[in-house]
Amino acid sequence: MERAGNIMGGRVLSSILPVSLGVLGALVANFPVSFLGNLLPPPLLSFMPLYFWGIVRPDLMSPFWAFMLGLLEDFLSGGPPGVWAASYVAAYAFLDNQRDMLAGLSGIGALTGFALSALVACASAYLIVMLYHWRLEPIAPVMAELVTTVLFYVFAVFLLGGIHRRLVGPLRSDF
Amino acid sequence: MANGGWKIARSRGGAQLPIALLAALAIALILIGKAQSNLFDRARANVTDWAAPALEVVHAPLASLNRWIGSIGDVFKVYQENLRLKDENARLRQWQNAAVVLDNRVKRYQLLLHAVPDPALSSVMARVIGRANRPFLETMILDAGKAQGVKPGQGVIDARGMIGRIFLAGDHTSWVILLTDLNSRIPVTIQPGNVQAIMAGDNSSAPTLDLLSQNVRLHPGDQVVSSGDGGLLPPGLAIGTVVETGSGGYRVVLLADPASSEDVNIVDFKLKAETPPGVTPSDLPATAAGLPPAAPPPQVAVPAPTIPVAGAPAVTAPTPAAPKPQAGAAKPQAATPLPAAAKPVVTAPPQTAPADAGGNE
Repeated sequence: MERAGNIMGGRVLSSILPVSLGVLGALVANFPVSFLGNLLPPPLLSFMPLYFWGIVRPDLMSPFWAFMLGLLEDFLSGGPPGVWAASYVAAYAFLDNQRDMLAGLSGIGALTGFALSALVACASAYLIVMLYHWRLEPIAPVMAELVTTVLFYVFAVFLLGGIHRRLVGPLRSDF
Repeated sequence: MANGGWKIARSRGGAQLPIALLAALAIALILIGKAQSNLFDRARANVTDWAAPALEVVHAPLASLNRWIGSIGDVFKVYQENLRLKDENARLRQWQNAAVVLDNRVKRYQLLLHAVPDPALSSVMARVIGRANRPFLETMILDAGKAQGVKPGQGVIDARGMIGRIFLAGDHTSWVILLTDLNSRIPVTIQPGNVQAIMAGDNSSAPTLDLLSQNVRLHPGDQVVSSGDGGLLPPGLAIGTVVETGSGGYRVVLLADPASSEDVNIVDFKLKAETPPGVTPSDLPATAAGLPPAAPPPQVAVPAPTIPVAGAPAVTAPTPAAPKPQAGAAKPQAATPLPAAAKPVVTAPPQTAPADAGGNE
């Protein structure tokens, strides 16, 4: 009985952990205090768990959660609502289509796969904002955010991998 | 760093339909947000109010750390910096004397000319408790809100010049859209010459200038101040100096540095709504000329238009009886002031979303 309870608790934890990390990423990235001295824009931290578990465990990171994380990003960043929600959904559509290819990548290839997905998200956001304001927006800030996000993913992927190996993977090993 | 080691739980999410639905939902949200941005903004303001104490606690040590990191390079050029500052100080003292003399002279001229005094300016001092530098929004959060009289649209300045404008005010916090933000548009005047222009941010450190007249040539070093058009910002707020870009355009190097500003002033520009005085009988041209006022012409009843209805006799709408001219009616009545709803009232533009906060004033 106790073991069954532990298993149930573990499953709940493993279910909410990827999304919780995405929420945490959105909170940290949009915390209005610059950890980089305003030299660089904050990375899209919420996008990293979305990409990682969107590839390896799409059952834990569904399109609905991609939408919700984007919405949270919109809410916290102060921008127009729906921009990042639509962008995250677009990026999820990309990785849903290319999952087999992206999951097979390793090393620099894996980083390139992430960069492509982040590029889809950032390009979508840029296009939406451009249409929203109906004018050509400067592309440099979005590119800076993309580069920062990709650079941070180099370190974040080890953390996410460790969490997946130790917590998420074993607890839902029957899936 | 690899994804290859992971075994995919399901080879395909099978989520094409939900993705399409969610994409449609997101687009609907964008359109709703464009039409009704206040819903999102109110929630944001509430969250910021709620998180303000935590922001203040976290911001102080990080700001000190950032200042310390930023000052590392300064250690190696203290001597040169000291000499430069002494030189600048001597020049500024000369300018201060000139400014005091000119200020006195302007006041004397205003007194002689009975010039209309400048509208009252009051300000609220606030501390910066947060900064956000996102691709589509550059903003800072202040620890003053509606409770301190802060309203959207008010200008924010520091000791050097203008920083931005309030675009969202919570109860105890407010968000500032910086002049460098790509949503910021401020009507400005360039001195000398009183050249009118719109200063538009593009997320770079130097906003661009869109000149309203194409036949004007600016010079590097010209001063840019707020024009006061629109009535939200006071005229004459120092903003920056003009620099020429390589492509023949102009940009503004801002005097203020939002990245290092800690204490700012929120300027409340009290441009009072003017009510025209009521007209008295002596103001009428005939009375003023010493002539007796003419009696109003008797009104003639005009039959209302008939509406032909197929298969029915024409129906004429009853008209009210024309008022008979009375003896007392010949005397012109003093015009009463316009009812409140009809009075021309200068009102502030409606609160806008960050996207439109810097819009046309």
